[in-house]
Amino acid sequence: MQELDTVIELSRLQFAATALYHYLFVPLTLGFSVLLATMETIYVITGRDIYRQMTHFWSKLFAINFALGVATGLTMEFEFGTNWSTYSHFVGDIFGAPLAIEGLMAFFLESTFVGLMLFGWGKLSRGKHLLVTYMVALGSNLSALWILIANGYMQKPTGSAFNPDTMRMELTSLPDLIFSPEAQAKFVHTSIAGYVTAAIFVLGISAFYLLRRRHIELAKRSFRVAALFGVFASIGVISLGDALGFINGGAQPTKLAAMEGLWETAEAPAGFNLIAWPNQEEQRNDFEVQIPYLLTPLVTHTFDESIPGVNDLVAEAETRIRNGIPALSALQTLRENPTDAQARATFEAHQDDLGYALLVQRYVEDVSQATDAQIAKAAADTIPPVAPVFWSFRVMVATAFLMMAFLILAVIFSLRGTLHRHNWFLRLAPWMIPVPFIANEAGWVVAELGRQPWTVYGQLPTWLSASTHSVGYMIFSLTGFVLLYSLFIVVEMYLMVKFIRLGPSEGKHDAHADSVRQQHSSQWSEA
Amino acid sequence: MKQILLFLFWLLLAVVAIALTIVLGERGAWYFAWVLGTVMIVLIAAAGTAIIDARYDESHDDHY
Amino acid sequence: MDPYVLLKVTWWVLLGVLLIGLAVMVGMDMGVGAALRYLGRTDGERRAVINMIAPHWDGNQVWFILGGGAVFAAWPTIYATAFSGLYVVMLVLLWSMIVRPLGFEYRSKLPGERWRGAWDWMLFISGAVPMIVFGAAMGNMLEGVPFHFSWNMVSYYTGSFISLFNPFAVLCGVMALALALYQGGAMVMNRGTGVIRERACRLLSIAGLVALAVFTLCGVWVSMMHGYEITAGGDPAGPALPLNKTVETASGAWLANYTAHPALWLVPASVYLAVLGGIVAARAGLSHLAWWLGALAWAATLVTLGAAMFPFLMPSSSEPSHSLTVWDASSSLGTLGWMLAFTAIFIPIIGIYTSWAFWVMRGKVTPESIAHDEHAY
Repeated sequence: MQELDTVIELSRLQFAATALYHYLFVPLTLGFSVLLATMETIYVITGRDIYRQMTHFWSKLFAINFALGVATGLTMEFEFGTNWSTYSHFVGDIFGAPLAIEGLMAFFLESTFVGLMLFGWGKLSRGKHLLVTYMVALGSNLSALWILIANGYMQKPTGSAFNPDTMRMELTSLPDLIFSPEAQAKFVHTSIAGYVTAAIFVLGISAFYLLRRRHIELAKRSFRVAALFGVFASIGVISLGDALGFINGGAQPTKLAAMEGLWETAEAPAGFNLIAWPNQEEQRNDFEVQIPYLLTPLVTHTFDESIPGVNDLVAEAETRIRNGIPALSALQTLRENPTDAQARATFEAHQDDLGYALLVQRYVEDVSQATDAQIAKAAADTIPPVAPVFWSFRVMVATAFLMMAFLILAVIFSLRGTLHRHNWFLRLAPWMIPVPFIANEAGWVVAELGRQPWTVYGQLPTWLSASTHSVGYMIFSLTGFVLLYSLFIVVEMYLMVKFIRLGPSEGKHDAHADSVRQQHSSQWSEA
Repeated sequence: MKQILLFLFWLLLAVVAIALTIVLGERGAWYFAWVLGTVMIVLIAAAGTAIIDARYDESHDDHY
Repeated sequence: MDPYVLLKVTWWVLLGVLLIGLAVMVGMDMGVGAALRYLGRTDGERRAVINMIAPHWDGNQVWFILGGGAVFAAWPTIYATAFSGLYVVMLVLLWSMIVRPLGFEYRSKLPGERWRGAWDWMLFISGAVPMIVFGAAMGNMLEGVPFHFSWNMVSYYTGSFISLFNPFAVLCGVMALALALYQGGAMVMNRGTGVIRERACRLLSIAGLVALAVFTLCGVWVSMMHGYEITAGGDPAGPALPLNKTVETASGAWLANYTAHPALWLVPASVYLAVLGGIVAARAGLSHLAWWLGALAWAATLVTLGAAMFPFLMPSSSEPSHSLTVWDASSSLGTLGWMLAFTAIFIPIIGIYTSWAFWVMRGKVTPESIAHDEHAY
C-alpha cells in the first residue's frame, strides 16, 4: 500500500508537471494564431506592406512557441497510456474518441497549414495565404475544443454508462458528450483566455519597442490591434469564467466548496470569503475576511439558495459509499459468474454509487468488510485540498480583473493617441507578460486539483487510475522529464528574447520598407 | 457557367452556415457564442487598427 | 455478419492503414533526420536537406499523434496495456521524438557551428531512435509481452525493460530504420539536386538491400518462434473483455494463417519486389516511383506482420489467455461506429489538403535557393 501510494503521488506529480508545462505554450498558440490571422486580414484588406511585415515578424515568435507546444503535446498523448493505464481502460471507450477526433479534425489541419503559413509566403497569393493562416487558427482552436470535450467528461461524465461485461464505462451518446454544458463553457473560457494571453504578449513587446523608440510604425499598429483584440477577449473570459463556475459548481459541489472555503453549508445570504486561511485538519478557516451577501448571488445566480459546505458534502459522500458497496461486491460476483441474475440486479440497483465504493477500496480490499472508520476516511477524501484550490482561484480571478483593467487602459491610450505621453504604461506593459500565464496555470490548478480525489468525477478515483509501475520507473521518467524540459525552456527563452531584441528589421529583404521605417522613427525622435 | 458554379458554391456555404447556426444555437449555445465572439473580436480589432492608416494619410501625425 | 464483428475487423484494417501512414510519412522524415549528417556535408547542404521536409514534417508527424489517438479510441485496452507495459521504451520513444520539432524549428535560428552541430545530432537521434523503437515494439508484439490483468482489469507488466530490447526485437528495429532511410532517400532525391541527390540515391540502395536481408532473417526467425492460437472461447462478437478465452502457444503457429490461405504469401513476396524495383527506379532517376514503391514495401511489411498475427494484437507471454485480440480489445459498438463515421468524413478531406500543401511547396530545394529565402529553416 505504501509503495502504491508513492507511485500514485509520483504519477500525479509527473502528470501535473508535464500538463502545466504544456499549458504554458498552448494558450499562447490558441490566441496568437487568431491574432496573426487578424493582422494578416488587415494586410489583405489595406494592402499596406507594414502589415505583412507585422504578420511576418510575429509569426516568427509564434513558431518558436508553437514548436514547444507540439513537442510537449506529444507527451500528453502518450501519458494517459503510460501512466494512467487503468484510467485509459476504464474510460478509453469515451475519452479516446475526442482525442482521436482531435487528430482527424484539428491537429492535421493545424499542422499541415502551419508549414504553409511559415514557408508559403512567396508561393501563395495573398488571399490564399490568409486562408491558410485562418486554417491554422481554426485548427488550433478546434484542437482545444476536442481536448476540452475530453476534459469536460472527466469533470462531469455525460453520455456514458458502466458496462459490467467489459468492466468499463461505455459511450451511450456522442452528441451528449460533445454538447455537455461543462465542455462548452470550458472550451470558450480556455480559448478566449488564450486570446488574452496572446494580446498581452504582443502588447508587452510592442510597448518595449515604443519605449525604446524602435520599429515605431510596426509597434504602434501591433499595440492597437492587440489592445482591441485583448479587451473584448478579457471581458469574454470573465463572463465565461462565471458561467463555467456556475455549471461546474452545480456538477462538482466539492470543488465549489473548496474554491470558496466553505466548511459549513452557507444559507442565503452568504458572505464571500475575500481572504481566508483554510485549515483542512480542523475543517474551518483559521482566519477570514468576508464581503457580506456577495456569495449567494455570485454562485447560485439567485438570492435565496443555500450552498452546500464541506460538512454536508462529507455526510452525503458517506451515504453514497455505503450505497455503492453492494454494487462493487455484486460486480465481483458477476465477474466470476456473469449469469448470476441476483448479483446483476443488486449491481443495477446500486451502480450509480459504484465509484464511491471504489474510494473505500483504497483502505480495504474487500469493501463489504469496510469499517465505519474506513468509510469515514474515504468520505473525508472526497474533499479536495481546500487551501491550494481556494488560493489558485483567487489568483486567477484577481489576475483576470487586473488584465482587463490593463487592457482597457491600453485601448484608451492607443485610440486617443496618447501612448507616448504615458511612458509609465509602456514601462509596465512588458511586466504584464507573465500575468496571463500565471492566470492560466492557476486556472488549471483550480479545475484539476479541485476535481480530486477523482480522475472521472464520481466514477473513478485517482488512486485506482494509475499504472502499476515501480517507484524506480517513476523516478526514471520524472528525472528524464525534468532534465529535458528544463533544457527546452532555457533554449526557448533564449531564442524568444534574442528574436525580440533583434526585432522586425532582422528580415533585411525589404530594404525600401526598412529605410522608410527608419525615416519615420527619426522623424519621431525629432518631434 | 463559372458564374453559376460560383453562385452555387456561395449558396451552399450560406446553407451550411444557416444549418450550423441552427444546430449550434440549439444544442451548443456557448459554442455558437464563441464563433460569433471570435468573428466580432477579429473584425473590430482589424478595423480599429486600419483606422491608424486612414488617419495617417490625412495628418501625417506620428503620435501613437 | 454481426455488425460488431464487422466494425472490429474494419478497425483492425484501419489500424493497419494508420501504422502504414505513420511508417511511410513519419518514417520518411526520420530517415532524412537520421541521414542528415551523411546527406549534407556542409551547413548549406544540410539546410537544403532540412528544408526539403521543413514544410511537411509537422503535418506528417500528426500520423503519429493520430495513431496514438486512434488506438486510444478504437483499441483502448491495447493503448492502456501496451503503453504502460512498454513504459521505458515508450519514454525513450517520446523523449527522442519531442526533440525533433525543436531540432527543425530552432536549428537554423542561430548561426554558430556548435549550436547547429548539436541540433544535427539531435535530429540524428530523433530520427534513428524512434524508428528502432517502432520496429522493436512490433517485434515484441510477435514475441508476446509478459502482462496479465486482475479481475477488475488493472494491468500488470512483469518483465524487465531490457527484455524489450531482445535480439529479435532489435532486428525488427533495424528493419524499420532501414526502410525509413530508404524512404528518406527517396524524398531527398525527389527534391534535391546534384551531389545531395547522388548521396540520397546511394543511401536508398544500401538501405533497401539491408532491409531485404533483415526481412528475410526475421521471416525465418518468426517461422521458428512460438506463435499463439485461440483454442477455446474468443467469440468474435463477444464483449470486449480479454479474460474469457484460452490461448496456447505453439512453434510455428504464426504461419497458420499463411498455411490456411496460401495466397497471403504474395504479401511478403511483394516486399522484395517493391524494394528491388524501387532501387532500380531510383538508379534510373525515377525517384517518385521509387518513393511510391518504398511506401508499398512498408505497407507489405506491415500487412505481412498483421496477417501472421490475426486475430492477435498483443499476446501475453506470461498469461497467454489474457492476450489481447481483435475480438476482445476494442471499443464498444457505438464508439467504433462513430469513429468510423468521423474517419470516413475526415480522411478524404485530409488527403485533399495534404496533397495541396505538397503541391504548393513542390520544386527543388538547393543550398543556393535556401540562402536567399528568409522564410527557410
